[in-house]
Amino acid sequence: MRFSLQRKQLCIPYFLFLILFVVIPILFIVFYAFTDSNGYFTFDSLISFFTSTNKINVLIQSLLFSVINTIICILIGYPIAYILASKEFKTNYVIVMLFVMPMWINFVLRTGATRDVLTWLNISGGEHPYLATMIGLVYNYLPFVILPLYSTMLKLDKSQIEAAMDLGCNRVQVFTKSIFPQSIPGLVSAAQMVFMPTMSSYVIPEILSEGKVVLFGNSIYIGFSNYQWNSASFMAIIMLLIVGITMLITRNYTEKDSGGKSSKW
Amino acid sequence: MVKKAFGYTFLYLVLLLTYVPIFVLIVFSFTNTTYIGDWNGFSLELFGRLFQDEEIMIALGNTVIIAIISAFVSTLLGALGAIGAFYSRKRNRAILENLNQIPVVNAEIVMALSLVVMFVFIGNTIFHEQIFSFWTLLAGHVVISVPFVYLNVKPRLQQMDPALYEAALDLGCSPRKALSKVMVPQLLPGIMSGFLLAITLSLDDFIVTAFTRGPGLLSGENTIETLSTLVQAKIKKGPIPPEMRALTTIIFIVVLVAVILITIYQNKNRRKIRKGRDY
Amino acid sequence: MENKNYIIELKNVSKIFEDETIAVDNFSFYVRKGEFVTFLGPSGCGKSTTLRMIAGFEFPSKGEILLNGKNISNLPPNKRPINMVFQRYALFPHLDVYDNIAFGLRLKKIPVRKIDKEGKPVFEIDKNKIKDIKREISLTKKNKHLNDDEKNEKLNRLNDLLEEAKNNKVQAYTYKKLSNQEIDEKVARALKIVDLEALEDRSIDTLSGGQQQRVAIARAIVNEPEILLLDEPLGALDLKMRKDMQLELKEMHTKLGITFIYVTHDQEEALTMSDTVVVMKDGVIQQIGKPKDIYDEPKNAFVADFIGESNIYNATMFSNKTVRFLDHNFACIDDFPVNEKVDVVVRPEDIIIKNKGEGMVQGKISSKIFKGVNYQYIVLVGKNEVMVKSTKEYNDQDEVGLDIEAESIHIMKKDFTTNIYTDAWINKENMVMIDDMPFECNILQLVENSKEEDGYIIDKKGKKYDFNDADVVAEIPLDKIEIIDDIESDEAQIVGEIVDSVYKGDHYQYIIRTESEEDFVCLSTYNYNLNDKVGIHVNKEDIKLRLKKEASNYEI
Repeated sequence: MRFSLQRKQLCIPYFLFLILFVVIPILFIVFYAFTDSNGYFTFDSLISFFTSTNKINVLIQSLLFSVINTIICILIGYPIAYILASKEFKTNYVIVMLFVMPMWINFVLRTGATRDVLTWLNISGGEHPYLATMIGLVYNYLPFVILPLYSTMLKLDKSQIEAAMDLGCNRVQVFTKSIFPQSIPGLVSAAQMVFMPTMSSYVIPEILSEGKVVLFGNSIYIGFSNYQWNSASFMAIIMLLIVGITMLITRNYTEKDSGGKSSKW
Repeated sequence: MVKKAFGYTFLYLVLLLTYVPIFVLIVFSFTNTTYIGDWNGFSLELFGRLFQDEEIMIALGNTVIIAIISAFVSTLLGALGAIGAFYSRKRNRAILENLNQIPVVNAEIVMALSLVVMFVFIGNTIFHEQIFSFWTLLAGHVVISVPFVYLNVKPRLQQMDPALYEAALDLGCSPRKALSKVMVPQLLPGIMSGFLLAITLSLDDFIVTAFTRGPGLLSGENTIETLSTLVQAKIKKGPIPPEMRALTTIIFIVVLVAVILITIYQNKNRRKIRKGRDY
Repeated sequence: MENKNYIIELKNVSKIFEDETIAVDNFSFYVRKGEFVTFLGPSGCGKSTTLRMIAGFEFPSKGEILLNGKNISNLPPNKRPINMVFQRYALFPHLDVYDNIAFGLRLKKIPVRKIDKEGKPVFEIDKNKIKDIKREISLTKKNKHLNDDEKNEKLNRLNDLLEEAKNNKVQAYTYKKLSNQEIDEKVARALKIVDLEALEDRSIDTLSGGQQQRVAIARAIVNEPEILLLDEPLGALDLKMRKDMQLELKEMHTKLGITFIYVTHDQEEALTMSDTVVVMKDGVIQQIGKPKDIYDEPKNAFVADFIGESNIYNATMFSNKTVRFLDHNFACIDDFPVNEKVDVVVRPEDIIIKNKGEGMVQGKISSKIFKGVNYQYIVLVGKNEVMVKSTKEYNDQDEVGLDIEAESIHIMKKDFTTNIYTDAWINKENMVMIDDMPFECNILQLVENSKEEDGYIIDKKGKKYDFNDADVVAEIPLDKIEIIDDIESDEAQIVGEIVDSVYKGDHYQYIIRTESEEDFVCLSTYNYNLNDKVGIHVNKEDIKLRLKKEASNYEI
């Protein structure tokens, strides 16, 4: 006989959901990655992945695209976030909304529009696949960089900046010694928002390069479409590993846990 | 001064570029040519064709239905999860928090593939047929949106006065009633923003939809098409279908109105609070 | 059996939290109907936990809480006729003033006697009671703080009650809700009591702190609880408002006739408002009494120090009804054995200040502060400081005489004379481990006429002892513990935090608590603040050791 509903029990359904639809599926991937089509244990997927120059090239190409995309997005997004967060910018709330608004228009539709416009401007994916893909990636991920940077910049400790000025820093020094170090957490989360999704993106390279640029996401998608569960799963494992590594690198910047008192009720 | 002007120019330039593709679609939705760049005089023909295009209408309907249902499920699971986790012991909370973080950081395509692999396995071993349907699609959409509901509700919980719940019990609420009469109203802003985010994520999704969908909903016997999958299928073969340009215009107007309404609402709230402080 | 006048009674209640901290320890206490009782004590003394147990937010680990003689120990808060005014009011921000006050009324169910068609009362088995008892049984089974005997005894009793409830039919009730009109009337009355008639439509965040406070009180009293609990309700108000509210609360108490249980750390608040004050410290009741009794006759140095300003001295009973402190023999009323070490408390306003040469003891004013109604002097008598409050004016550095009348001297049993550690043990190096830290000690005291050789103790008969791992009781006199300021230095054998300090005229008595919660009581003339981190040093010769088992057990 249950005597009362305890608040902490409310998370049980969510916990079960996460186990069922997040944890167990990942275990399935691990299982498929190291078995063959008959379900026997094998390293075939691993060996075929690392012996295939094609797949290794895709991996390296994806990493390159991710790095370049992250850098370009931050180079463009950082000054924009800084201007938006500066206090002279009275109308900033509206401008921030304007930067976010395109995100509410269907992403595939936007990607198609980008391609059509680029084609109209004679930068078609058929002739300039790399350039077109890069433009599409930057265009799509820029808002994801601006938002976290903007919210970090809003929280900059103004008195610290003033103290730096007071202590004789010139404008460049104020930036390098005070503003930039304070904005690092925002930079980290901005980079997180771009790096992984770029690697695993499918629609953007597929549409903008007219299938000529294949990133890691496309590779997995192709594996999925051709019912190659085992090799696709192995590639997914590689992705998981990269996610894990980036998490380890950036974990120092994530916020601390704080919760309520565990209680009777 | 020059520097500042330079900065502003840069900002507005980037903003303008962001809107180029959308504005191009909107402009060319008022003519009836197949390709953008060709102007055949002003016409509202595309809007008429849009509403007669069964394919698009079905995809649109599917998209909206999935978004609303998945957002409801996500909100329920995520909000209750956040409340429960908040009052759990530290270790249990840490476990849930870490699990919650997996879909947030993990690549969407990996999540999608992992779900497919599991569904295939379950289909093969238990049902002996493919189980892909609306339900698998729903599960996929909930997976990608529910962590964000959790993350939106959590800060509200941290801000809430813990005595409110006890006060409700003290005044005669059963724990269940205290939850619905006091906790939920207090968390409502977080729950609402979580819900809206869940809708947005679902509306926009392509990968998980493409992987986990099966027959059902308005598509009937056929595989469910959403706006994302339909557009993707079309633009792989050619330019954006002209009717879609009209659709973009409509979506843009809806979004614009929504944004304006939200802005007005928030400003109103802000003013209200200020009034309270002055008192 | 139970006194009918006791509205609530706590019987040997203890609360042990999950992390094994004891918040309330064996608390026994009752409240009479209509009384205004205050739990007073420093933060962390268990007063709030006790209140929360009465409210039902925490359940006691041991003991029982009786309401009108009925055990409610494990009843959830929503089923108790008790309401609470919270520290930060805990008003519902999404509701306006009216809805906040009406909140409890809307949930209230009024029992109505169930009658059948012919108007005869209906008798049924009380299902709710059975449910309550069953819950109690399952809770008792899970309680890990009771030993098996206690558990079985309680379970048997509960099972008997269960059988009785299952077999007896009692008058059945149906429940109805209050009508909107009734709610309206009650809310209006409550608003009137707290003087907020005009504000019922206002939203909570437009109210000032004082107004929110009133709404919180109205929200609680509108339910007509049998007991109103107030958890430091005035803490967030400014001084002037606090004073006004104190009077108003007192007035409300008289008018409403409800029992008030009030929690505060402010001794003045407690003394002004209450009929009975319960002084608590470390989860233990120090003294229960009327405000005047507690002020005039504090039971120990803690109460004396906590309630009002006081001079506390180490003293010795000189002869029958004569006590010696400040290098003088004072006549006193309390009778203690001759030569017993005692604490003496003298209130500053009870000391009579006189001109130089007059009075029992002579001193020199070392500070003078004008306090409005009187002057507060610190007079140095020898090396002791005496705080004196008087309307007579003297100048700083004046030499004066002091008189203390017999009835102004309160003598209390000394609370500490020595630190005793019963779970100490000897390590390999023949050092004594207190609180798992090694202290150098004279291990030879364990065996008479012995000497040490290669780590073994050899007695005069040549028997060899190995005391490695031996359990001992270690004693350190209060004055032999030296406080070391530099916690990094080698001198500091153990580091802790000052959790308590009492000024005793010429020195302070500190309690230093280590991380593992062991207490070291020590005396020092230097002033430290609460929560200061300090080290402790004890000389080798000052640790007295006593073996728990016979020495022969360690012979080899």
